[in-house]
Amino acid sequence: MSLVKFSSVGLRYSTGPEVLHDINFELKQGSFHFLTGPSGAGKTSLLKLLYLGQRPTRGIITMFGKDTALLERSRLPALRRQIGVVFQDFRLMPHLSAFDNVSLPLRISGMGEAAIKKNVTELLEWVGLGDKMNYRPPTLSGGEQQRIAVARAVIGRPKLVLADEPTGNIDQDIGMKLLHLFEELNRHGTTVLIATHDDEMVRRFNYPQLRLENGLLTPAAPGKAKAA
Amino acid sequence: MKFLVKKHRSDIAFHDGAGARLITWMTGLMVFFITLALTANLALSSITKSWMSGLSDSVTVEISPPPPAAGSDSLTADQKKDFDGRVEKILWLSKQHPSVSSGRRLSEDDIRTLIEPWLGGKIPSDLPLPALVELKLTPEANLQQLQKDIRNLVPGANIDNHQDTLDDIGRLIGTVRAFLLLLTGVITLLAVVAIAGVIRSKLAIHRQEVETLHFLGAEDDYIAGQFRRHALRGTILGALGGIGASLLTLVIIGSVTRTIDSAIMPQVQLMPVQWILLFLLPLLAGAVLAHVTAQVTVMRTLAKMP
Repeated sequence: MSLVKFSSVGLRYSTGPEVLHDINFELKQGSFHFLTGPSGAGKTSLLKLLYLGQRPTRGIITMFGKDTALLERSRLPALRRQIGVVFQDFRLMPHLSAFDNVSLPLRISGMGEAAIKKNVTELLEWVGLGDKMNYRPPTLSGGEQQRIAVARAVIGRPKLVLADEPTGNIDQDIGMKLLHLFEELNRHGTTVLIATHDDEMVRRFNYPQLRLENGLLTPAAPGKAKAA
Repeated sequence: MKFLVKKHRSDIAFHDGAGARLITWMTGLMVFFITLALTANLALSSITKSWMSGLSDSVTVEISPPPPAAGSDSLTADQKKDFDGRVEKILWLSKQHPSVSSGRRLSEDDIRTLIEPWLGGKIPSDLPLPALVELKLTPEANLQQLQKDIRNLVPGANIDNHQDTLDDIGRLIGTVRAFLLLLTGVITLLAVVAIAGVIRSKLAIHRQEVETLHFLGAEDDYIAGQFRRHALRGTILGALGGIGASLLTLVIIGSVTRTIDSAIMPQVQLMPVQWILLFLLPLLAGAVLAHVTAQVTVMRTLAKMP
């Protein structure tokens, strides 16, 4: 079943040139893809369209079986809660503790405090931040902040996880551990799309690629698809 | 008031910057003026009632003394007898007439006390003063008939039913109250504009955090709630400050006006419930204003976001 489908999607910011042209692809439920391409190719713009942070200038985007152009604005939050996003710049709330940052999606969805405490503590321990739950992001290293961002993206068990360079600022061991976390989620049925320019990681994990160059999606490089 | 004691965790990093202080100051100013305007309104209402009730159920009959004989400053014995006789006729009428419940001749001292503040000095003791007879009216009094009967009995008697004075007082008080209302409206409008401006600037400053909350699935109302609480905190602090300042001002005004003649400025006594309303109303008005302004401003801005 197709979770995400782009048909002839184009995007331009204001009156500037088009940054994405005629994008066509599908993400099947339970698939794992890398989104690759050089800097400035449009990876972040494509992710923005995927997490409904931007409307396309043209074309049709279907997510979870719904044409996003026809969706009322009031129905977007429920859709967004099914998407977990790891932003390139993390977008953590600097005044909140690691625990509160990771709790945010659960609080927003109205989960009770006892369940939040159990789930968040468990996940933070899993990503190696069990002893730093009460630390605020500015007092943590880049790698630690990245792990908080990943934990926040996956805590709500979303159907789709989007990650923009999730291993960019962390050492290889932690990076591998995070990729294994994404694989673990994927094994449980979560669709994963990771934007990266880490060729070594792409080769090692060997999942199918969506390659963007100059705003155009080129045919995916050969690789094994997990559940596509 | 629980939120003042227990600090709520806000998802957005609001800091107590200049914007937050502006909300506090504007609300403080608004509450200060509203409290004073309300007090003034209550006081004016009380003073008006006191004046009106004193004037509307009575008429004053003025009997002018005859002019003194040439070369003399005072009345002759005959003139005085005639003058007193005319006053006695009015007093006699007050006991007979169905429109009058009682009549009282004001003493010379009373008349001097009434006139002296307007003349600004002591009146010479030998200056002939008019006689004033205050007639208290019955509830079913026929004023026209009474005026006719008085004029028939004592031609030349001047009857003042205080209507002109009552009209003048009513107009003056109405104007003052309208001005106070206008002033309150302008200050409230300014407070709304200031709060909306601060909220809009906060939205611009915290745009990325707001966007992040959106992308995490937060509804507009969830985000608006963060701004509402932030605005409310500043507003409550401002309102309490405004109430404190107005209370101090009222105490000062009270101590200054205590020395004013009670005939001109009757003492204003408010009921406990009026005092509670006086301070609760501006506080509630400030809170509602901040709540609604923040909600409307944030929801309008969020509606333009993806």
